[in-house]
Amino acid sequence: MTNAELNRMAEDVRDEGLNQGSSMKDLVFDPVTGDFRQVPRGSHRGDGDVVTEMTNKGFAAEDTTLEMVYLGEEDLINVRQKLLTEDKVKAFAEMIDNEVYHVHLTLKKARYSTDLIPVVFTKDERVAMSPVDEDMMCIVVRDEDADAFNLVKDQKRRRLKVDYIPSRENIFSRTKGILEVGALKNKRVLVIGLGSFGSQIAIELAKAGVGNFALMDFDRVELHNLSRHTATVRDLGRLKTNVIEEAILGKNPYASVDKFPVDINKDLELLYEEVGKADLVICATDNNTSRFNLSKALVEKEKVGIFGRAITRAEGGDVFRYRPGGPCYCCLIGEGNLQQEEITNVDSARRDGRIAAYVSPEDADAMVQVGLSSDIEPICNLMVKLSLVELSRGIESGISSLEQELVYDFYMWANRRERHYGNWKPMPEPGNLPTILRWYGVKTAKEDNCPICSGHVVLDEGEDLPATAMEDISIDLS
Amino acid sequence: MDKERLQAEESLLARKFTPNVFRFFNRETPGTAYLRIGAKTNQGNVYTLHMDLSDFPVQQPKVFVTRMLKNKMGVDLDSPSASMHTLTSENGWTRICHYGTNSWTPNVSLYKVYVKCRLWLEMYETHLRTGKNIDYYLNHQH
Repeated sequence: MTNAELNRMAEDVRDEGLNQGSSMKDLVFDPVTGDFRQVPRGSHRGDGDVVTEMTNKGFAAEDTTLEMVYLGEEDLINVRQKLLTEDKVKAFAEMIDNEVYHVHLTLKKARYSTDLIPVVFTKDERVAMSPVDEDMMCIVVRDEDADAFNLVKDQKRRRLKVDYIPSRENIFSRTKGILEVGALKNKRVLVIGLGSFGSQIAIELAKAGVGNFALMDFDRVELHNLSRHTATVRDLGRLKTNVIEEAILGKNPYASVDKFPVDINKDLELLYEEVGKADLVICATDNNTSRFNLSKALVEKEKVGIFGRAITRAEGGDVFRYRPGGPCYCCLIGEGNLQQEEITNVDSARRDGRIAAYVSPEDADAMVQVGLSSDIEPICNLMVKLSLVELSRGIESGISSLEQELVYDFYMWANRRERHYGNWKPMPEPGNLPTILRWYGVKTAKEDNCPICSGHVVLDEGEDLPATAMEDISIDLS
Repeated sequence: MDKERLQAEESLLARKFTPNVFRFFNRETPGTAYLRIGAKTNQGNVYTLHMDLSDFPVQQPKVFVTRMLKNKMGVDLDSPSASMHTLTSENGWTRICHYGTNSWTPNVSLYKVYVKCRLWLEMYETHLRTGKNIDYYLNHQH
């Protein structure tokens, strides 16, 4: 069966499915039980609203012809321009998996292969037919498109299918209608901490079209990162800033990425400078010292910040949004939200004091209780959504409605009813009590005496010592 | 530590102590400031506490007794110990474990830290008298 026939069959199957309304289902929310239930489409007459259809558009088979040449639309425009005055334009192609070629005019930072083949662009088809002494690709450029030939030494040549890597304007055209293309291309996001949270969030924001990034993390990829990080085995030992830069450029080659492999607690001047430049800051570090430092910078520079963390074994987690004038992270902590945070790395936990110095190596290892990647995904996801809402605030878009939903500054999520969430209720019939795998928004208040954002200093003095302890003491203070 | 915070800490300490009991050093140089403050126990013994303020108040200050204390067995209190609430010594000084990272908030005053260290000193002297470890008297925080 040919691809065209397969495509037609897929279309037929899909259309048939869409027309079979009676056999399809809707989901209806039942306010009495608090659950969704399935009903045949069109049969619903109850109190709940039809929330969604069980199925929507079906699948369609793709043309999976191999031996593809990918060519940048912007590169092709440049080539056409050069061919007005030159016979040939030289370039090179990365050969990927022996069947896919990515053609570049200049070497890209994000690439998959070091296996390069020379490429010649020409308008003259005879060049494509002429004999050559080495493996080479020839791309014949016409006014409306381009045609690629792979030339080999024995003069057998194959015509390869050409597809285009969209231009800057079109690379995220699939998000049209949700976030207008280009809406976020001038936005700059500072991501602090490129662990399991920061790495995923940075890449998601790149996929959503954010055009400018500043990445801060002094760490390198270690073996224990791999189960939850976007990094792979081949990234072991590399600076996380380099790994994530590559991942961002892999999604959006037009993005700009500034890298700072530094400890923000040791370089506050840089932190303040970068916070000042950013439209939004992601705080994905794993300790309160950096969160407090960042909080101060956000208040001073009047920038929006999104904080996220997982607590022990990622049994749950929370997300906090700082908006200028609102409660800051220190206001939140002041309300008793100190949690036993998840420890994923003994060395860093020892370094910042989350594992006390006196804890033995065996006990420290036992304290490392890492949750699953799927446990932290929902937390990352909300951080991304909050970020997109903040970045696109004031821009009419498909996510504008979220501005009415995500009105809280603090959100809680439980993955499992363990320890901290042990008294939450099972998902079926939770009644009026919280349950797992749902977000709960919390209204937090600005603390009048917050040492970070209140603008004045009110100290926690603790208790007075007895008067006898206040007797004059003579010590050498020279 | 910014100027306003330093002034607030200084003014609080000035309300609690006479001026010759404490002094801030390197106050104009970011990241190197420290506080020296005297502490007199109920037994009448006087100790000098050194508070390293390099990351204060976003992080708890390191607090040292400006000499090496010994336990009842005559062994230096120079290493991390849960039972004695100590951390790794520096400069030959015993370091007191007073606040855990997870229980620290930036509004805690140096005076409050001082009070906790003063309690530690009282319990240290009690340890010397009774032989019971300090954590027999002082609970652990997270």
